[in-house]
Amino acid sequence: MCLGIPGRVVDLRDDRGLAMGVVDFGGVRREVCLAYVAPEVQLGDYVVVHVGFAISRVDEAEARRTFELLKAMSQLEELDWLGEVADRGPA
Amino acid sequence: MKYLSEYRDPAVALALLGRITQTATRRWVLMEVCGGQTHTIVRQGLDQLLEGAVEMIHGPGCPVCVTPLEQIDKALALAGRPDVIFTSFGDMLRVPGSECDLLQVRSRGGAVRIVYSPLDALDIAAAHPDKEVVFFAVGFETTAPANAMAVWRARQLGIRNFSVLVSHVTVPPAISAVLDAPDNRVQGFLAAGHVCTVMGWTEYEPLARRYRVPIVVTGFEPVDILEGILMAVRQLEEGRSEVENQYARAVTRSGTVPARELVARVFCLVDRAWRGLGVIPRSGLGLREEFAAFDAEVRFGLGSIRVAEPEECRAGDVLRGKIKPPACAAFGTRCTPLHPLGAPMVSSEGACAAYYNYGRYRVAAAEGVAG
Ligand code: SF4
Repeated sequence: MCLGIPGRVVDLRDDRGLAMGVVDFGGVRREVCLAYVAPEVQLGDYVVVHVGFAISRVDEAEARRTFELLKAMSQLEELDWLGEVADRGPA
Repeated sequence: MKYLSEYRDPAVALALLGRITQTATRRWVLMEVCGGQTHTIVRQGLDQLLEGAVEMIHGPGCPVCVTPLEQIDKALALAGRPDVIFTSFGDMLRVPGSECDLLQVRSRGGAVRIVYSPLDALDIAAAHPDKEVVFFAVGFETTAPANAMAVWRARQLGIRNFSVLVSHVTVPPAISAVLDAPDNRVQGFLAAGHVCTVMGWTEYEPLARRYRVPIVVTGFEPVDILEGILMAVRQLEEGRSEVENQYARAVTRSGTVPARELVARVFCLVDRAWRGLGVIPRSGLGLREEFAAFDAEVRFGLGSIRVAEPEECRAGDVLRGKIKPPACAAFGTRCTPLHPLGAPMVSSEGACAAYYNYGRYRVAAAEGVAG
């Protein structure tokens, strides 16, 4: 549960004072809170995301290596939940 | 047993294994306190490859597994209320409570929703002002910044129908509890890389000094783990007890400062019960007084729910490293991932589920209680 998933920041915006953005995880895109890595984070940067929050910045090589490993370990459940939430719609 | 050819870097792994075996003049006992590492170790059979040089004990490193039954029962009580929409991360839904689990509450018509981020729970609250929306705030230090932000945001945006059922735990007090146990056998620790991403490792320094144990901040790839083990074994052989960082490419000494700051503004240290370990003083996070309005336990008066853990489940002995999962009489028979009796069988990061999923049905003769 504590493993963060690395992804690339593809959009940045401000939601009523909170730094938000969109992060691309190997093709799956997701809204992410960037408050903890702002103001340094820029478009195209790689961040480690845990439960919808970027918790640190990493370089591209580390991001790719970790993502591939998580995939191999089938530890990308967090991304599966996205699918689960989307499929079911409002309960 | 796994084959080294399955590793991405078999040559590196092999070299590390060789160095660990050469370095160890006796069999050292190490504990990893990270569910992700437990998963890797059991899946790749690292512990079996190391046999003779190092015994790995799988510590209380899976937040799902250490959440006490009492908190699950509180969640179930809330989820069953007609005025409540109960929101949670997906992996808490199948954790057995005294009578049922959250999935069953949902199938009986309870409003239980899986969210990916606690901010999603806040959005649900904003969209349903006529309902009480409760979020199950569980996890270690990695998850605390997200949950702190949800509460902070709720206050900032004036969302009053939102509250959190907090069951946060922190790693360093669990390490102390393991070391304080009179029958402790653990001589060194691998600390969880991703937990330290947020917190850094300053909190481990006094522990390493006080208990004279090496603590190595370690990633969760097989090669990371082997490197972390080698660093710990070197320290033990040389009589050192320091905090070292194997995971330098992702972790710094002070962590992610803005995240630590918000966690400290929203939460304070509280005594917390850990499944199988009992109450550990100042081992959890609870909401500060000024955020009491967002505390589901206060709002719904849950203080009176008190339950004991099921006797058959030996989760406590597993988490403390006294037994390996197959030594539990229920393992693989009455307790399986489909019908878990205890939390370590629910999450894929739990030691019992990892042993079950990777076909470890027998206890190796050398493992077990004797030291
Ligand atoms: S096998 Fe099941 S019953 Fe036994 S300790 Fe593990 S979770 Fe508990």
